[in-house]
Amino acid sequence: MRAVVFDGVVLGLQFGLLGVGLTLVYGLGGVLNLAQGQLAVLGAIVAAVRLDAGSAVVPAVITGIVVAATVGLVLDLTLMQPVYRRRGEDRVLLGLLLMLGVAFIIDGVLTWRYPIEALTLRIGGEPVDILGVRMRTGSLLASAIALGVGAILVLFLRYATTGKAVRSVIQDEEGAQLCGVSPATVRAFVFALSGGLAALVAVTRSMTSPVTVNAGIDFTILALIVAVVGGLGSVSGAFLAGILLGVVNTVSAHYIGTYITTIVLLGAAAATIVLRPSGLLGAGRE
Amino acid sequence: MIRRAATVGRVGVPAMRAYAPVVLAGAVVALLPLRYGDSRPMMGVVIGGVLFACYAVGFNVIFGSTGQLFLCTGALAGIGGYASAILSDRHGLPMVLAMLLASLMAAAVGGLLSWIAVSRSLGVIFTGIVTLTFALAFQNLLLGQRDLTGGETGLVVDAGSDTLLGEQVAPFYVFVVLLTGYLALFRALQRSHIGWAFRALRDDEIAAELAGVDVKRYRVLAGTLGSGMIGLAGALYAHSEGFISPSTFSFGEVDVLVIVMLAFGGIGSLLGPVVGAATFTVLEEWMDSFDEYRLIIYGSVILVLFLVLPRGVVPTVQRLVDVARRRAVRRAPAPTAEPPVDTLTHG
Repeated sequence: MRAVVFDGVVLGLQFGLLGVGLTLVYGLGGVLNLAQGQLAVLGAIVAAVRLDAGSAVVPAVITGIVVAATVGLVLDLTLMQPVYRRRGEDRVLLGLLLMLGVAFIIDGVLTWRYPIEALTLRIGGEPVDILGVRMRTGSLLASAIALGVGAILVLFLRYATTGKAVRSVIQDEEGAQLCGVSPATVRAFVFALSGGLAALVAVTRSMTSPVTVNAGIDFTILALIVAVVGGLGSVSGAFLAGILLGVVNTVSAHYIGTYITTIVLLGAAAATIVLRPSGLLGAGRE
Repeated sequence: MIRRAATVGRVGVPAMRAYAPVVLAGAVVALLPLRYGDSRPMMGVVIGGVLFACYAVGFNVIFGSTGQLFLCTGALAGIGGYASAILSDRHGLPMVLAMLLASLMAAAVGGLLSWIAVSRSLGVIFTGIVTLTFALAFQNLLLGQRDLTGGETGLVVDAGSDTLLGEQVAPFYVFVVLLTGYLALFRALQRSHIGWAFRALRDDEIAAELAGVDVKRYRVLAGTLGSGMIGLAGALYAHSEGFISPSTFSFGEVDVLVIVMLAFGGIGSLLGPVVGAATFTVLEEWMDSFDEYRLIIYGSVILVLFLVLPRGVVPTVQRLVDVARRRAVRRAPAPTAEPPVDTLTHG
């Protein structure tokens, strides 16, 4: 049982990190980034291609993350500009549709250029005992990274000036502007951050199972569910939701069977939203 | 706020003029077999286009009229398709009865989802995610209940193959009748007190509530009705195609396309679903020749279309017509004719 829960937490931390990127972009600019999963896969495939070319693991992974972050930044500075000029529902809808187009394009480019590419990182080393549970080094490293990055993110948002600026824009765009915070700069920064985080999650996922070219849509849907269950705009909510869903996922996979698991997972997500309509840690109604 | 098409469907407009677009659209679509009637594959494409127009009208009733983002169009159509196939092939029910029962099931599920969303006052995105989780769960159920649904390999639907639904061109006309009926229903809704309520709650929910509109009731009504329409279209497709599989009704195959179609045609407008379905059916057919670049071109076209026409074709055209008309009236010396304000647009 303990082992299963641990596995769930490992998975959940990565779910959480995936949701965080989505939740921040939505909270800031009202853009539901439907290409989040594609950005993740883009980063993973870039890393895989670098590895094939003989690059060492760490530089390859960093290249992948930087590429995904750059694409995020460029998207924000170009395609999202007409979106930010709109207000309310118009903005959400246009942002969502444009990002859907971007998702198609990234998917298309990747399947065209690298149809059979996949990223698999084999982390060597003996399994380690933690509280009596033998954990694979790959899972441990993946959770350590997710946990570390998550903690840095939370601390950054709480204490760093830029982090505070991010939160201020989430709370009240006009108010932040009056205090001298530029929403445009903050948005661009967070879009890039979100792309980088997505790629990072794809990299940590690849430590336990391969990340293939067409995994984008699954990543996106997972990110969406985690972000909404956690409460859009809430970073710690996304992590909480990620861990909750990760544990539900592995526990039901272990005890009930894989086919029902997806349904249980989805049911848990839906139930959480219905019970807490603004998400686990959501501040209020959208 | 999403601006809807001008309210030509208002009660004040004579019925002849209000239903003219419905008849016109039905007639234009009905002419398509003249060009494509000899080719079985092309008829399949055209039928697919009309099917998606039907889905989009149903989705328009739910999302366009009352702002409930249902991301389970495919699943609702799947309930219709699978239930009708199973009821008629396994349990020997007459096909028409099976289709009706199946649509009622879809309507009940949609109504339930809508009721949950409304009674927990879920916002747009939250409704979207709850319905999305339902759609994904339904997809898994189809894959898992192998004995009933045939799992991934799909299900051959026998009922209907010996009727006119088994022919090459005839099913197309059945779909055209269905689409025209849906459009007429949509227009009738717009012109009734229900349409007033829809517009009121879409413009300002709180104001509508204060003015005595039972917002919850109308939302659930729209959810139920739209889902029933989607379910019926799915059931009809199952019998005319003779084969269904989980991917026939998957989120990626149905919902993404329906949303893009409706948003491009014009959310909340009468003819938006038809314009959108026509555009994207032609586009998909054209893109098949590009093979490996297909997705790239598809995505690029979506970007360009929505950057150029973020409001959708029908509302944009309507606005242009309104502006032109207002100018013409201003130039006219004596405004003795009826005032030009029968098409109110916001901003």
